[in-house]
Amino acid sequence: MADTIIQCSNVHKWYGHFHALRGINMDVARGEVIVIFGPSGSGKSTFIRTINRLEEHQRGTIVVDGIELTHDVRNISAVRSEIGMVFQSFNLFPHLTVSQNITLAPIWVRKWPKEKAEEIAKQLLVRVGIPEQSDKYPGHLSGGQQQRVAIARALAMQPKIMLFDEPTSALDPEMIKEVLDVMIGLAKSGMTMLVVTHEMGFARAVADRMYFFDEGLVIESGTPNEIFEQPREDRTKLFLSQILVH
Amino acid sequence: MSSTVAASMDRPPVATVGVLGWLRQNLFNSWPNGIITAILAMVLYALGGSIIPWAFGEANWRVVTANLELLAWGRYPQDQAWRLAAALGLLLLLSLLSWRSSKLPAGAGLRRLALLGWLSSPLIIGVLLRGLKLPTAATVVNNLGYYLYRPELLPLLDEAWRAPLALCLLGALVAFSWALTAGRLPRLLSGLAGAALFGLMLPLGLQPEPLIPGLILPRLFRLLLMTAAGWLAGRSLGNSLSGVGEIRKALLPAWLLAVPVLAVLLTGFDVGVEQVAPAEVLPLVEPAIWGGVLLTLVLAVVSILASFPIGVLLALGRRSELPVVKWTCVAFIEVVRGVPLITILFMAQVMLPFFLPQEITLDRVMRAMAGMTLFTAAYLAEIVRGGLQAIHKEQYDAARALGLSEVLVTGLIILPQALRAVIPPIMGQFVSIFKDTTLVTFAGLLDLLAVAQSVIKQREFLGLVREVYLVSAVFYFIISYTMSRASRRLEKRLGVEERAT
Repeated sequence: MADTIIQCSNVHKWYGHFHALRGINMDVARGEVIVIFGPSGSGKSTFIRTINRLEEHQRGTIVVDGIELTHDVRNISAVRSEIGMVFQSFNLFPHLTVSQNITLAPIWVRKWPKEKAEEIAKQLLVRVGIPEQSDKYPGHLSGGQQQRVAIARALAMQPKIMLFDEPTSALDPEMIKEVLDVMIGLAKSGMTMLVVTHEMGFARAVADRMYFFDEGLVIESGTPNEIFEQPREDRTKLFLSQILVH
Repeated sequence: MSSTVAASMDRPPVATVGVLGWLRQNLFNSWPNGIITAILAMVLYALGGSIIPWAFGEANWRVVTANLELLAWGRYPQDQAWRLAAALGLLLLLSLLSWRSSKLPAGAGLRRLALLGWLSSPLIIGVLLRGLKLPTAATVVNNLGYYLYRPELLPLLDEAWRAPLALCLLGALVAFSWALTAGRLPRLLSGLAGAALFGLMLPLGLQPEPLIPGLILPRLFRLLLMTAAGWLAGRSLGNSLSGVGEIRKALLPAWLLAVPVLAVLLTGFDVGVEQVAPAEVLPLVEPAIWGGVLLTLVLAVVSILASFPIGVLLALGRRSELPVVKWTCVAFIEVVRGVPLITILFMAQVMLPFFLPQEITLDRVMRAMAGMTLFTAAYLAEIVRGGLQAIHKEQYDAARALGLSEVLVTGLIILPQALRAVIPPIMGQFVSIFKDTTLVTFAGLLDLLAVAQSVIKQREFLGLVREVYLVSAVFYFIISYTMSRASRRLEKRLGVEERAT
């Protein structure tokens, strides 16, 4: 693929003696939306955390936008500033206002002037649907609002790739939709996205390809149509039947 | 009927508001509480009933008023006392300035002025209290030449430290250039240049030379340590500056400048300039003769201000992934915390001169300050470590994922939250060290309590013990209480409670 933005080959990761990732291969093209799903402990979160090196892989290669992830500190920060990440528990900075949360990295990493960063923060808050909250502290917002601020914070760095690590798992049901709507909008705008989620409606709507993880391996991958309509592996069938019941 | 009910609901029930209501709700809301209130009221009456008549009748306050100056500043010369007033005036002025400007926006000129004032105040006040020898222009030029061309006479730069320092600088420069240059050839060149210079200098650094008295660092170890320190500093500086476009242009001048600096460091010139003693502008008042409230406050303020950054660094060092840094910090913290303050004060008087180069002489007050600073820093380090441990791992993840460097992660995200969480214990430690300044009496210093004890022994005021001790107790209480109030206010202002996760 000429326009590959993430290239992972034979990625391994151990925690002590526990083999968490057992040779993951994945190529992602620019603009693709990838949904990763699987049972807990299957290594899906660990895998997307290796892409911005929050976790270090111990064997194999990961190349992001032409830069290989090694121990070199400059490579890591260069890669991280091109990748936005959204976490399960939002992880906003509680001592900073919403606006400061969003402008922090643009000001300190991108060295933008404060006015420019604040202007962009304002636009992003409009985009995620909470323009009125910029001077509040995260503790005063609902979970759904906090997660949308977290998305805005990641987008403020104008990343080429967005990683989502179970972005809706910690949310009350009525707030899941407001976050998914923002993510669907983002997917349709052409952002390259890797999403760990069990929101199969979201996957069906915008995913280009889906990966089923179990025990540190990719068991099966394919388009949503292939995965939902004719899954090849028994484990995939079983897992889908379990999560699609309710 | 419903309207009358609504009307009567408009007013609160009798005696739930006002003084009577407060008394009823808080002091007499139940039988047991009422009895406790009554008993405590009687105890208070008994205490106050004896102290207040004594304070306004029997007590002879002349023992305090006659010795006011002694209690306030000890043997500080009478004719120089205006300098203390000037220092106090400066502090009041700065407080006023901060108070006036606290409501202005962050960038306002008045706020900047206040900040600048506070930052420079330690120096100004230090000069005011201690005095100043201001050299004339001629002596400045002369002595500049003296220091430039006789580097071996620089007070800190002992012969034994020149080669290690040169290697430290070189290491920093090589690592700095390495971090900033991307291509293979420039990196190879800077690496080769560094290796060549290093090879040239290593034998120089290994020449037989006297060790600094009391410093138990073998020569080779010192060389390696300094080189490694320089290398790490240069690398992290280079990495953190690599985003700045123009910084690479500074590399060539830096290298060009480095050659003469290294040469001077290693060999030293001697052009025969003699050092000239500067003239005295403000007469020197050696801290050794300071005393009373002045000494107590100076000791407390200096050890508080100096211990805070050291404590934070120790706490960060203790969590470092570099084993040498980590275990050095752990050893320091545990040793200091395992020794009573009074022992540290004694040891500071006896041992510090032994550890420092001969050129540096610390008087008794500075030695006491150093002892108290190190003591407080070790305790602060443990408090701050507690705060750091309370920060979730996810905060690091989120900050790193945004591309912040480790320094920024710590400085912008982790430390602000950790320090906020431990304001009360930090302030408690500060209050504690303020009260513990009284221990310097045993190191031969005349703080407020020591002066108080000498005042009691004056022949004309014999037996007036209570008056003197009561006054010093009130002084300590007022300052300590002000500090804990300040802590509460600081917490409120930073919104500690409402901004918790």
